[in-house]
Amino acid sequence: MKKTLSLLAILGVAFVFAQTASNLTEFKENISKQKVEAKKELKPFRYDGSKVTYFNFKTYKQVKEVEIYLFNNTDYRFSFNGKSLPNDVNIKIYDEDKTVSDRILLKETSGIKGANIIIESSELNKTYQSKKSGSSRLKRVFVDYEIPGVPGAQNKKPTMKERGAVILVMGYKN
Amino acid sequence: MTKRRIKVATMAISASLLLGSCGNSEPEDVNTVDLTDTLTEEFDVDLFESPEMDYHLPSPLQVASIFKKSGLEYNSGVTNPADNAGNYSAELSQMLNFGVYSADMAYCVLNEQANEGRIYLGAISSLAGEIGMEAVFANEDLMDRFDANIENKDSIEILMIDIHERTEEYMEENDMQHSSAVHFAGAWTEGMYLGVFDYENNGGKDGLGAQITEQMAILGNIIKGLKDPRNDGMELGWVITDLEAIQSKFDGFASVTSYYEDETAEELVLSDNEYSELGELIKALRTKIING
Repeated sequence: MKKTLSLLAILGVAFVFAQTASNLTEFKENISKQKVEAKKELKPFRYDGSKVTYFNFKTYKQVKEVEIYLFNNTDYRFSFNGKSLPNDVNIKIYDEDKTVSDRILLKETSGIKGANIIIESSELNKTYQSKKSGSSRLKRVFVDYEIPGVPGAQNKKPTMKERGAVILVMGYKN
Repeated sequence: MTKRRIKVATMAISASLLLGSCGNSEPEDVNTVDLTDTLTEEFDVDLFESPEMDYHLPSPLQVASIFKKSGLEYNSGVTNPADNAGNYSAELSQMLNFGVYSADMAYCVLNEQANEGRIYLGAISSLAGEIGMEAVFANEDLMDRFDANIENKDSIEILMIDIHERTEEYMEENDMQHSSAVHFAGAWTEGMYLGVFDYENNGGKDGLGAQITEQMAILGNIIKGLKDPRNDGMELGWVITDLEAIQSKFDGFASVTSYYEDETAEELVLSDNEYSELGELIKALRTKIING
């Protein structure tokens, strides 16, 4: 009897595991498709690479940051895809990283859940120059994803509905 | 990453099934709850959770393109000869020179040296086979596409972007992203070397000098990437030491200090002596890398 119960329990675990693996595979496959979508929006800019930022919604707010270099004489386009988001996140772009208290907010946008948003470096440079007198141009930017807290989220063992990702695809003008 | 975890977890389940179904002794302490916890935690902690601070490094093609726009001219015979590819037997030197050859290929293609570029594509494919990335180049159509478009610079550039994207995807799918810093260290060193060579040999070019200093901004994140604990078994110590020496030398330059003190300064321009000192360190590191 004990053996049968153990076997059933193990089979149950195996089933849960298989289900989880299948969900995660689907999650990854969706991200690959969304990356293709985001890449299409880059045109006529030339693809340079992508950065997928993964996170789990928790009961408290989190911030994940990505640093991107902007080189001289080059215009950039950033294509953000939020179609793998169960909830919305806020995107904020700064001139400095999050350890710098007086950094400049260059752009803030929300509503990325289920959408693809385009931001160009020319716009960020304009804002930078208007907010910081005497400055020439941005040499890098820091993209912050503000992930809001979700009441009731499973912080230690997130479920699939708490998993999210933003796909950022970058391009430059040749 | 996903695959590795799934494999570990599958082995754990198989072992549990095997242990649970054999032997005469009664398993007094079968604890399925613990197993579930372990499996869930593997996924939750290690997968799909990006670091709080991350970065994106530019592709070798973008770096070559920026250098070209800054006035870099093509210098024949300066790149690492493709014949050297066969001399790299250690994994580290194969990975570093995979990056070196990526930069060389971009340099040749952008400077309309398609035949040279094709030779470097061969060298890159050969090294990719050695470092477990043969699948990226397994499809013969890459070389065929190159040959079909050899007269069309734009098409060759698009082909290079495809290779870069395939490499990026392959590394992500196979939990090899930490290795990209090693490739990039090779590509960065070669790109800087090509810039320094042109700057020193073809007269003072302000734009090119400014681009060399601008590329220094990336170095901190390359070093950070090399120090990823997953790269621990690769004997990267000397590469990190040399790159840190370059960073430290650069940070100590008077021009750099005064640039960061002056908020209105537009571009950082080093003195001739500073360019020369920086160039010597880059050339020394590049020699070590290409000598394997």
